Amino acid sequence: MNLLTPLSLLFGLLAVPIVVMYMLKLRRKEVEVSSSLLWQMVLRDRQANAPWQRLRRNLLLFLQLTILALVVVGLARPAIPTPSVAAGAVIVLIDGSASMNATDAAPTRFEAAVAAARRLVEAMTPDSQMTVIVAGTRPQVLASAESERAALGEALSSARADQGPADWQAAFALASGAAAGGTAGQDATIVIISDGGLPDEGLPPLPGEVRYVPVGETGENLAISALAVRAAGSGAELFARVDNYGGAAIPAILSFYADETLIRSQEIDVPPGESESIVLPGLPGGEAVYRASLEAAGGRDEPLDAFGLDDHAFTVYQPAGDRRVLLITAAEGGNIFLEQVLAAMPGVTPYRAVRGADGSVTIPEDPFDVYIFDGETPAELPEGDLLLINPGDNPLFAASGVFTDTGGIRVVDSPITRFAELADMQVRQAKRVDLPDWGAALVEAEGGVLLFAGETGGRRVAVMPFDLHDSDLPLLYAFPVLMANLMEYLAPAQAFEAGAGLQPGDPLVIRPDPAVREVAVAAPDQQVYSAAPGEQGVLFSDTGILGLYAVNYISAETQWAEYFAVNLFNPGESDIEPAAEVKVGRAAIAPGTEDRLGQREFWPWLALAGLIVLVIEWLVYHRRQTIGGLVERLARRGAER
Amino acid sequence: MIFDEKTLRKLHRLTLVATQVRAGMIKGERRSTKRGTSVEFADYRDYAPGDDLRRLDWNVYARLERPFIKLMEEEEDLAVHLLVDGSRSMDWGAGELNKLSFALRLAGALGSIGLSAGDRLSAAFLQAPGEAAARAATVYGPSRGPAALTRYLEYLQAQRAGGITDLNRSLRDYSLGGRRAGLAFLISDLFAPGGYEEGCRRLQGRGYEMAIIHVLSPDEIDPPLAGDLRLVDVETGETQEVSLDGGLRDLYRQRVEAWQAEIETYCRKHNIRYLPVRTDTPWERVILQDMRKASIVR
Repeated sequence: MNLLTPLSLLFGLLAVPIVVMYMLKLRRKEVEVSSSLLWQMVLRDRQANAPWQRLRRNLLLFLQLTILALVVVGLARPAIPTPSVAAGAVIVLIDGSASMNATDAAPTRFEAAVAAARRLVEAMTPDSQMTVIVAGTRPQVLASAESERAALGEALSSARADQGPADWQAAFALASGAAAGGTAGQDATIVIISDGGLPDEGLPPLPGEVRYVPVGETGENLAISALAVRAAGSGAELFARVDNYGGAAIPAILSFYADETLIRSQEIDVPPGESESIVLPGLPGGEAVYRASLEAAGGRDEPLDAFGLDDHAFTVYQPAGDRRVLLITAAEGGNIFLEQVLAAMPGVTPYRAVRGADGSVTIPEDPFDVYIFDGETPAELPEGDLLLINPGDNPLFAASGVFTDTGGIRVVDSPITRFAELADMQVRQAKRVDLPDWGAALVEAEGGVLLFAGETGGRRVAVMPFDLHDSDLPLLYAFPVLMANLMEYLAPAQAFEAGAGLQPGDPLVIRPDPAVREVAVAAPDQQVYSAAPGEQGVLFSDTGILGLYAVNYISAETQWAEYFAVNLFNPGESDIEPAAEVKVGRAAIAPGTEDRLGQREFWPWLALAGLIVLVIEWLVYHRRQTIGGLVERLARRGAER
Repeated sequence: MIFDEKTLRKLHRLTLVATQVRAGMIKGERRSTKRGTSVEFADYRDYAPGDDLRRLDWNVYARLERPFIKLMEEEEDLAVHLLVDGSRSMDWGAGELNKLSFALRLAGALGSIGLSAGDRLSAAFLQAPGEAAARAATVYGPSRGPAALTRYLEYLQAQRAGGITDLNRSLRDYSLGGRRAGLAFLISDLFAPGGYEEGCRRLQGRGYEMAIIHVLSPDEIDPPLAGDLRLVDVETGETQEVSLDGGLRDLYRQRVEAWQAEIETYCRKHNIRYLPVRTDTPWERVILQDMRKASIVR
């Protein structure tokens, strides 16, 4: 509680003259009486009840001092600070990002934010409406223009923080919509309850008055900011990075597990504001799930820091499996370039279609991962991913004529063209292809496209519309790189691409084997999401929880599983230092100062109390019997009986 | 102070009741040895209608042509003494409620009764010595007969209150005045710091039969005062600070009642007739009813 006008307490000095007046002899009115004889007798009688008399006089003094005290305190305007909100439309944006799970505000920052929101609900005036939005990875409106406190309380109880970064753009859009939808003429008040992890730039201004209620106290946090395993030589190598986002050293123990078996544990002490990288070489080359965990140096029971979501990370190492690649080449002796490069490619088992005596090629029934048609395109394309080199007529796209203007090669950066230096490629002539809708040009020359790829009809297709012999591509270093990339694109080792792990909320496309009838994804919180794969595979987007996910493929005869990890490798969230202000539009909003917070004054109650005491004092002064007199009468009556 | 004809007639019908003392028969000493046979002539008194004609002294009548009744010693007329408190406190009350006026009226009425009945009337206005010296004679009589009434009433009317009561002393002084003892009426408010008991004892010791008429005004019984006051005694000048509220007023009223009860107890114990009166009571009622009830008049 505080006093809004504490100087008014000086009025309390009025108590001094009141007391002095009581202590001095009262001015008495002089009255003549015929004889004071009887009065003296009366007062002598009364001496026995002198204490009552003194009590009565002191009672009046006490009552008058009480009234003075109530009035003086009332003048000082005592008030309890409440985060009161202007009446009208109130929009509460609660930060639901990963950093709000920090435990520096008990029990978590998010709970503290919800509690702050509850206080706002308490301070609502009856004619206000409140909208509650949780700004998480996917912002949610929990209550919309609600004036019932009970409903708002329930909505707040259902609020949960996410484990990923918040989508503030979407949250602001929802807030703007809610503000605009309010009662016409009422200015909305938007309250952002957050630890300040909003982006510095790019957020649109919000209509109405914006307030910022900060939560969170500390910025000390040690985080695993990277974890990856890649093939190295005949085995694998693990790479990890730990960052200290705080201002003090946090000694910790970093442990590595392969399939939950501890493989390495070391002490780590990262200076504040810096990072440290760790490499574990010589790991076995097989499939494994690797986990890195940070613990407090003092032992497992102690918390390492206030934010635990970034103290663990997973990565899944899945070496490229064997892919069956079928090469159908028009050339008589085969295409030595293709055969050689395929043979040398790890994880690829090439096959060559055998020509029959009549010169036709029979495509085997067995499914292959990739079909490479070199110079020849069958009327009926097999099911599977295709690499078409120097194709003929085919149902996938149209080609008309050739072009020779193959200078000015432009390479579009993509997984297929990564690390492949194709700018100096020389091509004598190429077929002019009408780039189909499903295709994206990856290598272009002035006269036309030299390489494009895309997905169509449930398969991936890559097309090089020129004969390899018509170019120097097979002689370039880029050729095996390009081919490896093409193989990776066309027949990925995994049904999904999540090599480096996903961020929370990232969607995943799972393209399982055609034989798979059902895909069931088990999330780290034991939730299972299952679906039958469609033409495009399965789109899995429930990646909000951090940890290891298992993708189970169920086919008629068998089932197997692959894994992927969702990690919070997000400096924005791991840096949990609460922000002093947030930027909305162009304005920087600082937390409300004391007088911007509402104050609930309660001087009316003091005035009422003073009035009651005044009435009591009047009664005491004027009533016909004092306590002493009443006691005497009772005593006398008792004696008479 | 003028009594109207009707009232005076009423008064005449009343006779004073004197139950005990007759002149000469004083308790204890000087008890008359005469037992009815040789009755000595003591005095004459005027004939009043209704007197026994056998007592008429025909010789005197013949000589003076006025009827006189012979009084024997044992028939000597009653001496009536009306003692009115003249202290300053008696002059209290406005108009008809004034205690002194009331007391003088009572004294007048009683005196009128006595004179009509042929009693020997004396009156005294009791005051402090200093006051007495400054005034005209404060003792009246003895006188007898209806003719004396006018002078008596004039005497009464001339009295002015003043000074501090010392009832004991005044009564003692009166008792030592060498008068014939009789029926003494003390009309006073009894606001005497020193009390009155000793004086009454003195009078009684001298053979007086006493009646006390205790006169108080209504605002002395139930004072209309409130608040923080300094009470100033008009008689003594003493001050008394009180903070009056309902409770204290109640206490005062109760004290007055208790005081009067105490006086009544004392009077009963000492064979003194006691009559408390309020000045807001019509004085006729006091004489005609209250005094009859108290057996002071018949």
